[in-house]
Order: sequence, then structure tokens, then C-alpha cells
Amino acid sequence: MSIQDELKSAIMAALPDLSCVIGWGPGPEPLRAAPLFIRGEADLEGFTAGFLSVNNPALYLPSLKGSKVGIVAKGCDARSVGQLVTETLIKREEVHVIGYPCGGVIDVDKVAAGLADACEPGEVGALREDGDDVVLDTPKGEVRLAKKDVTADKCGRCTFPNAENADVFVGIRRAPAAAEDTYADIAEFEARGTEELKAFWEKEMSRCIRCYACRNACPLCVCRDHCIAASREPHWVSQADDVPDKLFFQVIHAVHLSGRCTGCGECERACPLGIPVLKLKRALSRRVENLFGYKAGIGTETPPLLTFAIEESTIKERDW
Amino acid sequence: MSVLEGKELRIVGFLCNWCSYGGADTAGVGRFTQPTDLRIIRVPCSGRINPLFVMKALIGGADGVLVSGCHPRDCHYAEGNYYARRRLEVLKGLLPVLGINPSRFEYTWVSASEGQRWQHVVETFTARIHALGPAQAFAGTTGPANHNRADAMVS
Amino acid sequence: MSAETVKKFISFDALPGFLARAAEHGTVYAPRREGSAVVYRPLKPGDAPELGARPTESCKHVVFPRSETLFSFAGKADAAQPAVRRPVLTESPEPGPAVVFGALSCDARGFLAFDPVYKGSGTGGAAADTYYLRRRSRTLLVVKACKSALNTCFCNWVGGGPASAQGADVLAVEAEQGLVLDILSEQGAIFAETLPAASEGQVGAALAAVKAVEDSLPKAAELSAAPAALASLFSSAEFWKNESAHCLYCGACTYLCPTCYCFNITDESDGLSGVRLRSWDNCMSPLFTLEASGHNPRPNKADRLKNRVGHKFSYYPSLHAGRFSCCGCGRCIKSCPSSVDIRKIVLDAVKEAANV
Repeated sequence: MSIQDELKSAIMAALPDLSCVIGWGPGPEPLRAAPLFIRGEADLEGFTAGFLSVNNPALYLPSLKGSKVGIVAKGCDARSVGQLVTETLIKREEVHVIGYPCGGVIDVDKVAAGLADACEPGEVGALREDGDDVVLDTPKGEVRLAKKDVTADKCGRCTFPNAENADVFVGIRRAPAAAEDTYADIAEFEARGTEELKAFWEKEMSRCIRCYACRNACPLCVCRDHCIAASREPHWVSQADDVPDKLFFQVIHAVHLSGRCTGCGECERACPLGIPVLKLKRALSRRVENLFGYKAGIGTETPPLLTFAIEESTIKERDW
Repeated sequence: MSVLEGKELRIVGFLCNWCSYGGADTAGVGRFTQPTDLRIIRVPCSGRINPLFVMKALIGGADGVLVSGCHPRDCHYAEGNYYARRRLEVLKGLLPVLGINPSRFEYTWVSASEGQRWQHVVETFTARIHALGPAQAFAGTTGPANHNRADAMVS
Repeated sequence: MSAETVKKFISFDALPGFLARAAEHGTVYAPRREGSAVVYRPLKPGDAPELGARPTESCKHVVFPRSETLFSFAGKADAAQPAVRRPVLTESPEPGPAVVFGALSCDARGFLAFDPVYKGSGTGGAAADTYYLRRRSRTLLVVKACKSALNTCFCNWVGGGPASAQGADVLAVEAEQGLVLDILSEQGAIFAETLPAASEGQVGAALAAVKAVEDSLPKAAELSAAPAALASLFSSAEFWKNESAHCLYCGACTYLCPTCYCFNITDESDGLSGVRLRSWDNCMSPLFTLEASGHNPRPNKADRLKNRVGHKFSYYPSLHAGRFSCCGCGRCIKSCPSSVDIRKIVLDAVKEAANV
């Protein structure tokens, strides 16, 4: 049986006890799947788990609290579930995690770069996986791209390709793409220096349209309708369309995610204007990892910013 | 260093009510001279200090931000400063990637009796900020003919 | 492209110089690639506009800024009674002329959905919106005809087309290493007056290009039943719950949409002085309908998505002579982080209403 079929049977086996199972189904175009809410066998038509399974289904769990829900989970999705459970934002017994070995997911922006002048990603008529390649039907003929060149950055540094907390795991566990996340990307970025980075964010954030897709795509951003960005008192951000306000919102998001972000990258992926907002969260994740040895979404220990030690072995705040 | 000697910079200080604000007061009562760049905001406890307070000040163009609370084991509310220590220490990791010099932010502990230490803290931190010079505020409006809000406020 | 209008030609080589001269008379906005996005930006003199990839955002912000200062205010002390402060209001400066070079035909048609609303057509013009209208009248739209359709395009479903001239001052069609410019308004004629007339061969090539792209579009779906269908499903909570299940209720769809025109007005003040801003708002946000009492008539995403789709394909047409408040640009589909497809929702609604 293929992984797809095995997953389908696992879903059907679990469905009687669940209000629905969230996976991925046909999207509006060949390069994109859509989150799929499976309530019966008929919904399984077009179910897919694999290279196009980009969305993080854990996103929907807090809003579905009170009924038992299944999700098909990549390793990173399962980390979101783990973190939500650790923070008691959802109940573990209300989630049924169906894991499978994830080999990475597509990054449409990289496809766009790979297609270069052949066409826009929105003109691709079909996508076919062929070994280590993807083959795209374009108006100018077939374009073959190496899968590794069009896979999301997060997948290249993935240390948890298998849903570690799965209730059911389908398929053979996969070796991680990297032994550990070295945060080399953040070190490299930071090395550009504060002056250059300030100019970088001024340019990037000037594109921001304040749609808050980054926030709403984040599985750990549970405040939703009660976000402080919408508050008038205190008045954290104004309605002006200027860089300081827009950047400050990204700071709000990053600070509220410190010690909680599992690095699923949905914020950055969701941004319609391609603003690399994950960098801010990863900078804080690196800091938390270095100070407290904590990786969000793995294990059940209390997140470091919700607790303290009287003597902090890694903090030297009295040195000046 | 002081306003008399050169251009004064804008440093925002968040001080806990019970120790550091008292320490600053002690320094004042003891007539320990200090640079005048610091604008003090009194908060109940260093644990009350949302890291976003610091960020709002820095992104808004403050040249420096200083946080001071009770020494560990001395918090009026027993453990507020322990939480503050973790939060503020983590926050330091965000500044360089945002394009803000991390030296513009610091936190420390000063008790109500430590007037002299307060003087030392203010002098040291102010000297550090003066060495960095004034911060460049984040700028940029995008709307057509949408004149800058800050400019509008000035006019 | 009609046969009667004047046709001009400009080669791609001459374009940056021509636009730099145009920029002396006003701001020229053109598509520019920034990272993975293509956005409309004031063109730097000498730069060539990005005409190869379709802009991620619409150009509506040129006429309808994301946030616009309506006026600034300050409390000034009364000279006679220093204790009394009187409000002093300062109007924002008049906007200057602007050109959007390389708008998509759907972008230009988007303004046709704005116009009746901001002209205050429902009030006989009494509620005309000065701020919008003065920018609109000073903005020239040069539309660049599309050479192909994206998977998410459906302009032909809603009365448009890849080379539609509706709403445009000039329609530009790529031909022979340049653009054939179809002059459609007086303003357009002034804009292009220094350019040479297009040759017969160039016009012929442009006409052939337009026909080729129009023929390449998939057949349009029939939407005449949509307004009634959506109205009849207003109370079908289950239908909207299912359609909105994977929606994230962010505002990407509305803010990228060329026809979404809703706004909010806020005072951003610092003590007694400040500014009154008009900024974009969107019906997917909880604050859009939150009432002062704390009650929210649209408490969840199903209600909000219902409004978004209903407004475009049912409520708006019922007020504005049957015109859909949708230009079929497909940006809401293309840029939706959770792949919500408004075409599917409308077609599902038509099907659902027929079954009831």
C-alpha cells in the first residue's frame, strides 16, 4: 500500500471517534494544496500528503476545542501540537495525531525563481514528482527542477521530519535533514550589521499591507480576535501606514512567540508580499535555545519564559 | 555628558517602584550628580515591564533604554524580577537582527539604599549611549502624498 | 482595441527615458519586483517598469491610500485667555497628479466598482468623497494587456478580459519589441502626445496578440444566478461554516483586492495634537463589525466570509445595476495562505441554492 492509501485507512479508522480529520486536498492551482476537513469517506477524494502539504493543520486546533479532532501531521505540525498541549491551549486527549514521514514541502517562491522567464508559477498547468525532481507543465513546455531547489528553507534544517507525538504513525520513519538546527542563517543575517539590517527592514516592511496573514497563519498566535495590535487602549500601534508601526507589529509577534515558536514558518510563507518575518522569531528561538536549552514543541517541560531559576547559570547580568 | 556639556540624548528608564526608583531618589537626596539624559518611568515591579515597552521606545527613536529593578531575592513581590531577568535577557537576542545596536539596551539591579550605585549605573550607561551617538529612528511612509505623521504633529 | 482610436508606439528601449520625462509632471507608479513580490512603486528615473510578472498587489492604493491623513489638529492656547485651548485644524495638502504605468486591466476595472460608491450615487452625490475623487481625477491609468492568464484569473467571468480597455486612459499591448498604445481619453492623449503613431504592422501585431490571449482563456462560468443564490443562503449557517472551514480570516484577500473599498477612521493623537487618519479596513477582521456595546454581529469567520462573498456577488450588484464588485483578478485566490477560492464558493452557492 502507498503512504497515501495507508494514511487514508488510518483516517477512516480514526474518523468514527472524531468530529473531523484535517489534512490536505486539492488547491486552486497545481502548485498549491488546500487544507482539507475530512468528515466522511467522500471527502477523502483528492486527499494528499506530501510535497504540497504546506499548510500547518495544527493552526485550526484551538478554535475546535471541545470536540476531538484528528490531524495528519508533518514533523513540524506535530511540534505545534506539542507546544499547544504544553501550554494547555488544547487538550492532548482531544487531538488524534496521524503522523507520516515528511520529506519536505514546496516553496512556491523558489519555483518562481526556478521557472525564471519560462512563466509565472500561476501558469503552471500540472506538477509531477519524478524521483528527486519535479516536472512542471508550462506554456513553454516541460520544466524540470530539482526538488531540493524548490523545497522550503525550513525543511533543509529540519530535525524532526516525523511526528514525534503521533498517536498513529504511517510509513517508515525518515532520517532528519540535519542533525541539529545551527541557526547559521540567522548568524549570517546578523553579520550584515545593524545599519544594513535597519535599512533592510525599512525596505521590507514598507511593502507590508497589514493584512495580518502572518499572525493568522501562526498556530501559536491564539489571541486572534483579541490581539493587542487591535487595541486602542493601550495604543500599541497606530493606523498609520508607516514602517515603525508595521515593524513594531512584527516585534509584537516575535516577542509573544519567544520560547514558543516551533519554527513552522507559516508566518513567512503566508505573507503575500514575501517579507521574511520568520527571521525575527528564529533570532529569539536561538536565544532561548542558547540560554535555556529549550526547543519549543518537544517534550512537556514548562516553557522557559513561564518559569525562572533563582540562580541563572547562563545569565551574567551583574557583570557591568 | 550633561545637558550643559553637549547634546543631551533621550534615554528611557523603567524603574521599579520599590528598589530602583527609591535608589534614584536616594542618589538625589544625597546630591550625587548625574547626567540628565535619562527619563524615568516608574513601574510597580520589573516584572511589570513588558519587553514591548523597551521595543516601543527603541523603535520610536529612543537613544537608549535602561531597566532597573530590585536585586534577585529582594523583589517586593518575591519573584517579579526573576521573570524580568529571563524576558529581558531573551529580548537582547532580538535587537541585532532588527537593526538596533544591542548596546542601546541594558538592565540591572539597584536597591533603594544604593544611591551611589545608581549614580554609577546612570553615568556608565549614559556614557555608553553617548559613545554610540543618537539613534536613527526607523523611517518610511509608503502612501502617496501621505505626509509623515510625525511631521504633521510638529507643524 | 477599437479601430477608431489613435494608436501610438514606444519601443522598450525608449520606455525608461519616456517615463522619466513623464515623471516631471507627476508621480509615475509602475510595477517593481521586490523579493518574491511585485509591487507598484514610484518609478525611479531611468528605471524600466517590471512588465513581465503580474503585480502581487493591486494599484488601488495610488487612489485610495492604505492610510491617509485627512487633517491634522492641535490645541492652541487662546491669546486672550491662555488657559483656554482652541482646536486648530490643518487640511492635508492636495495630492499631485499620478500615472499608473502597467496597471492590469482588472486593476483599472476595479476602480469602476469604487466610483459609484465614492461618488455617493446612493445619495444623489450628497455623500461624494472628496478625498477619493480628487485623487481619482488626477490619476492616469495606463493598462498593460496581459499576454496570458494565470490559473487564478477569471476576469472573463465578471465582464472583463485580459486586454479590456474599461476604466483605462491608455491600453498598452506588447508588439514588436515595444508597446502599441491605444489612446482612450483626453488625458491619455496628452500623456502620449510626444510619441510617434504606431505603424499598421505594429497595430496588426497588437490586435493579433489581443486575440490570442482572449482565445486562450478558459470559458467563463455563468454567474447570473449568483446574486439570488447568495441572498437565499444568507441564513444557511452550515453552508458558510463548511466553505470557511480552512479560512484564516486574515485580510490578505481584501487588501490585495482592486475592488474592496472599506475604510476606518481613527484619531492618532499625542496629547492635544494629532492627525485624523483614514485607513483600510476589512470585513474579515473582528473589529470591522464590533459594536461599542461589545456585541459583534459577525462573531466568527463564517459570518465574515459570507459577507465578503455576498457583498461582491449579491449585495453590491443589487445596488449598482447588477455589476459585480469583483474584477476577477484572482489575487484573493493566488495569495490566500490557506487556498480559499472565491470562484468555488460562488459556484457552490449557486449549486446549493438550486438544490434547496
